[in-house]
Amino acid sequence: MRKKIDIIKFSVYLLTFLIIASWLYIFVVDEADLFKLFSAKNATYTKKFLSGLLGIGEEVPGFIDRDLWKNAIEMSFETFIMSIIAIGIASIGMLLTVIFASKNIANGELTLQKKWYNYPLYYVSQGLYIFSRSVPELLWAMIIVFILKPGILPGALALGIHNFGILGKLCSEVIEDMRYDSIMNLSSCGASKTQLFLYGVIPTVMKRFLTYILYRWEVIIRTSIVVGFVGAGGLGQDFRLAMSFFKYSEITLYLICYMLLVYLTDIISNFSRKFIE
Amino acid sequence: MKINKYLELHKRGILSLLLLGAFLLSLTYIPWSSDLIHAGGRSTINEVIRSFFNPDLSPHLLRIGFIASWQTLAYAVASIALALIIAIFLGVLSSGVLFESVFIKTFCRGLLGFMRAIHELIWAWLFVAAIGLSPLAAMFALAIPYGGILGRIFSDLMQDVETPQILALKTSGASPMQQLFYGYFPASFANMLSYTMYRLECAVRSSSILSFVGLGGLGFQIQISLSDLKYNEVWTFLFFLVILVVLIDIWSNLLRRRLSQ
Amino acid sequence: MTSKKVLELKNISVAFDSNKVLSNLSLSINNGEIIALIGPSGAGKTTLINIVANIIQPDSGEMLIDGVPSISINNRKEYAKKIGVIRQQFDLINQLPVIHNVLAGRLNQWGVLKSILSLIRPQEKYLAKNALSRVGIIDKMFEKTANLSGGEQQRVALARLLVQNPEIVLADEPVSSLDPARANSILSLLVDLVKEENQTLIVSLHSVEYLKKYFTRVIAMRDGKIYFDLPIDKVKEEDLKAVYDLEVTS
Repeated sequence: MRKKIDIIKFSVYLLTFLIIASWLYIFVVDEADLFKLFSAKNATYTKKFLSGLLGIGEEVPGFIDRDLWKNAIEMSFETFIMSIIAIGIASIGMLLTVIFASKNIANGELTLQKKWYNYPLYYVSQGLYIFSRSVPELLWAMIIVFILKPGILPGALALGIHNFGILGKLCSEVIEDMRYDSIMNLSSCGASKTQLFLYGVIPTVMKRFLTYILYRWEVIIRTSIVVGFVGAGGLGQDFRLAMSFFKYSEITLYLICYMLLVYLTDIISNFSRKFIE
Repeated sequence: MKINKYLELHKRGILSLLLLGAFLLSLTYIPWSSDLIHAGGRSTINEVIRSFFNPDLSPHLLRIGFIASWQTLAYAVASIALALIIAIFLGVLSSGVLFESVFIKTFCRGLLGFMRAIHELIWAWLFVAAIGLSPLAAMFALAIPYGGILGRIFSDLMQDVETPQILALKTSGASPMQQLFYGYFPASFANMLSYTMYRLECAVRSSSILSFVGLGGLGFQIQISLSDLKYNEVWTFLFFLVILVVLIDIWSNLLRRRLSQ
Repeated sequence: MTSKKVLELKNISVAFDSNKVLSNLSLSINNGEIIALIGPSGAGKTTLINIVANIIQPDSGEMLIDGVPSISINNRKEYAKKIGVIRQQFDLINQLPVIHNVLAGRLNQWGVLKSILSLIRPQEKYLAKNALSRVGIIDKMFEKTANLSGGEQQRVALARLLVQNPEIVLADEPVSSLDPARANSILSLLVDLVKEENQTLIVSLHSVEYLKKYFTRVIAMRDGKIYFDLPIDKVKEEDLKAVYDLEVTS
């Protein structure tokens, strides 16, 4: 009988190998130089950069300019809207597919029914989830701006697709972890499959689903600024422009708006989560 | 039924309705018209979809794909290694198990929070502006936010370690440092490893988008192929990325299952 | 009042992974009987109940409900009108308010639309009201089920049974997780309700305290077979001891 491979030992070896190999690669092949980091040239760059951020040496630093503020607030609002559309797309997509993507429904444990189309549907939905969440939002955005013109929609779509995959995985796990007993009892009351979902499954999973949706919304708002880099709408676009033209104090303005957005979203999300206790 | 009681019983339904309403309301902000799609948009969609079923599998491209995958993976692994060092250091300090000083705890927690609030791409831009295009800029850009995330999680994990175990160590005369190594670390090791593996998977994704700061890898190749409009190449690289992520996910699951036995 | 056969089992056998859980079990039950099903753990009581409730299919044998083969009742709703179940715990959907759990007994009569409507505005509320007052917890009608105690939750399950109004009530160790005082009151309530509605009751118990008080017939099981099946006045102390005796192997 073959000795079972100890996964822990294997992992430690593999990790060590990978870490050494990557550090070697980066420092030898890509010629990363730690000492060059602290050169005088870099010091000047860094100083210039930091003072630029703080607006030193400018008559009207970016973060005081009223017009820029107005524009930034509009863009922040746009980013906020984009995040809501994105989480909406992700959630609706998830709700439509999560039933098929749960193992205990596919193999008939939950519904006490076996249909031939259950397994293929399971693999297709899980496959969709895996593919959409493995590709980062930015890559999706890059592809989508080839099709759609820059604006809120491409950004929302990119964020929505990626998070659809993540929500799908999280929520199908919730359904797979459900206790059956109470739901089977409903079945003895004569509930049809649809009624089982309405009275049994949905009340049981709703809280978890909502919590996951709110949590992903928080992550989306943090990523939505980045999606703007490829022109997919929102604060990110202005951020990138400011970067290209070295308008550092403007960047500070956008960073402030970004943090305010994140803070606001966190407050709303936490409040909602407490609301549903 | 009184309104209050009704609201209390149907909280989740109400929240769901509110969220749905917010979503529908936001949809109105999109300027719905044919102006949404580029001139050649329709045909592009068709081409993109068709290329999905026909990815470029020529040896030349596959070779580029493997090299690019290694680049992406290498940066992810190296950065996570660095992030781990930061995370353990700051995590221990912010959890208060070594030093009970409120000042140290709050300061480190705040530092971790700041580190992880900013997206890795923004960190990348900041570093490039400060120290120029350099592989180290990419590594720091990944290591800092991930260090922040891991550090916060490690800190929470250590705080969750049950006090009876630690108390036993304390009464046998262990110093805080010894408590750390004999008590807190062993107890939370499995969870720490599990989160780290999950973050490694995320790091691979993040590493791929650092192509924006000129970092080689799958993201870089995808950008090139996109600008050449070679969609079958794009899908090939995307498949590489998906497979890489899935492999790490499988590895991570195996490890987690083994650890929970 | 003519006694009709409501339930008949003929040579029922079930095996799980080559373990014979029930072997060639036969019995017949008349309307209105209040039956106690006793036996040590692993005797097959729960499996028997699950077979009658149509949750498990027997490997061989036949079951007749009201003289009709059970397999010919392929509609779950029709089946629910004949047979209702109450269990030890986890009967109810904890996140729902009590009233919806009680009205769930009507699901075999309602279509999908009415079921959805009821979740927003409870339909046929009077049914729930009646049932809940008969089990004594009308004041909890709009409480979240999770907030109730174990005994109160079993009352809700009883109320649901009242609303469902099946011909046969199966109870799988309904009082095993309750303290003696509460167990007694729930059992008493269950038997009273069943008698009022002219239903048939089969209760599986693992304690023999309540037999003389509530039941008309005792079926004892051991190792998947019926050990004895007697009316309550014919049951002797020695028989009871023998069922649970660890030393005797059959």
